[in-house]
Amino acid sequence: MQERSDEQLMTAVQAGDQVAFAALVTRHHDPLLGYLYRLVGSDRPLAEDLVQETLLHVLQPHTYQSARPFKPWLYMIATNLVRDYFKSAAVRKLWREGDAEEMLLHLEDREPSPEERALAAEQGCEVREALAQLRGEYRVVLLLRFYQGFSLQEIAETLHIPLGTVKSRLSVGVHRLRSVLTPVPKGVD
Amino acid sequence: MPHPQSSWPFERPEQLTDALLEQGATPEECANLLPAVRRLSEWQAPHPTPADTRRLLAVLSTALPAFSPVRQAIREHRQHRISFLLATARAQVSLFGLGFWLVSALVTLLGAVVVLGRVIEDQDVVLRAGGPLLAYLGTIVAFRGRGARVLELELVCLPSPLQLALARLVIVLGYDVGLSLALSLLLWAGGTGQVLALMLAWFTPLLLVAGLALLLSLRLSVQAAASLAYGSWLVFLAISTISNLQARAGAPALIVLPGCLGLVLLAIALLRMHTNMHRLLPYPERVRTFLGADS
Repeated sequence: MQERSDEQLMTAVQAGDQVAFAALVTRHHDPLLGYLYRLVGSDRPLAEDLVQETLLHVLQPHTYQSARPFKPWLYMIATNLVRDYFKSAAVRKLWREGDAEEMLLHLEDREPSPEERALAAEQGCEVREALAQLRGEYRVVLLLRFYQGFSLQEIAETLHIPLGTVKSRLSVGVHRLRSVLTPVPKGVD
Repeated sequence: MPHPQSSWPFERPEQLTDALLEQGATPEECANLLPAVRRLSEWQAPHPTPADTRRLLAVLSTALPAFSPVRQAIREHRQHRISFLLATARAQVSLFGLGFWLVSALVTLLGAVVVLGRVIEDQDVVLRAGGPLLAYLGTIVAFRGRGARVLELELVCLPSPLQLALARLVIVLGYDVGLSLALSLLLWAGGTGQVLALMLAWFTPLLLVAGLALLLSLRLSVQAAASLAYGSWLVFLAISTISNLQARAGAPALIVLPGCLGLVLLAIALLRMHTNMHRLLPYPERVRTFLGADS
């Protein structure tokens, strides 16, 4: 039997179909958690809370229009929730306004040893730190493009920006990423 | 805690190059940027286990919009409205006893005999008085007022009460239209002039009385509603005949006016039936009494 599309499943969910909802959540739980995990800087409990919050928004009545592509809509909700979270007064107070990205870095003052660098590369710490140094607008498009595999059009629909803006942000983002990322030391494959 | 390898959407290296080219990078830039972009795959994200997904579903399922199985079935059937309406109407035909079919046909036949035999000079009046009699009969047979207390039974049926009312209207009006066509054939075969005008004189008051009776049946017992609607029409007809108003009402535009008014009344009655449904339910009162909220 042909697998139902996200849009068909979502229409069924709106009619209270539990099976369709289970299928939709199972399909998107993993990629959505990955996206939010990277967007909030490797904080898994926070990412899990945001996944739950995103899906609760999905279930709110009259929010989804059946003609609309589901995936960009889902990631738009997730992205907006993260934005709201970091804008909230409590978080700003905790992280001090403007220092949020610095907090994400967890940078250490001292020069890491070769072993520490190898372990960090293995766990993707350098990449995480490089992405955290980018401004949010560039980080989001890079995550959607290279981790979620979104097309340019899907990114435009998710972020409600023109296609040209998507391209320019990706271009700037990738160039900045390259300038931030240090090459992997030899012998650390 | 080390996380399992996360999925990386670019399985082949050239896919990454294509992605960079698509977003506007030149081939030279691609070669320059690729090493950095490839390194993105180093940052792995956690994967939820099936147990994680089950836990999430358990939390979210409480927020899932819930519809009763009956309501879901009604929603599904709404997708095939016309066929479902006709199927419901077919099932409802058994409600109408033989008397309804025969008496309606007899009334129509009598109307034809009176007109063709020129028993009465004013043929219009005969038809205007006889047509609504079918509506009176149809209302009494097809619709039961709220006093009949069958709403609970209708609510557990697959078609909603509104769908049932529509189906019965289809039967009654469909049969009346059929009889009207038969009457027009008889009049035409009998050599009567102005068949269309006579047919309108028969059918438009029928629609008016049917609409008025259905609307009144939402407030009164069905017998009272049908009698009041038909009685009002007869009174109006008598007054208009005596006061010679009928001659002025004979204009083509005014002939169809009762029919249009009847259709409007039918639409209002059906809409009110739909919106007042929750008020007609016995459930809230019963629950309130059970919970002792009145005390």
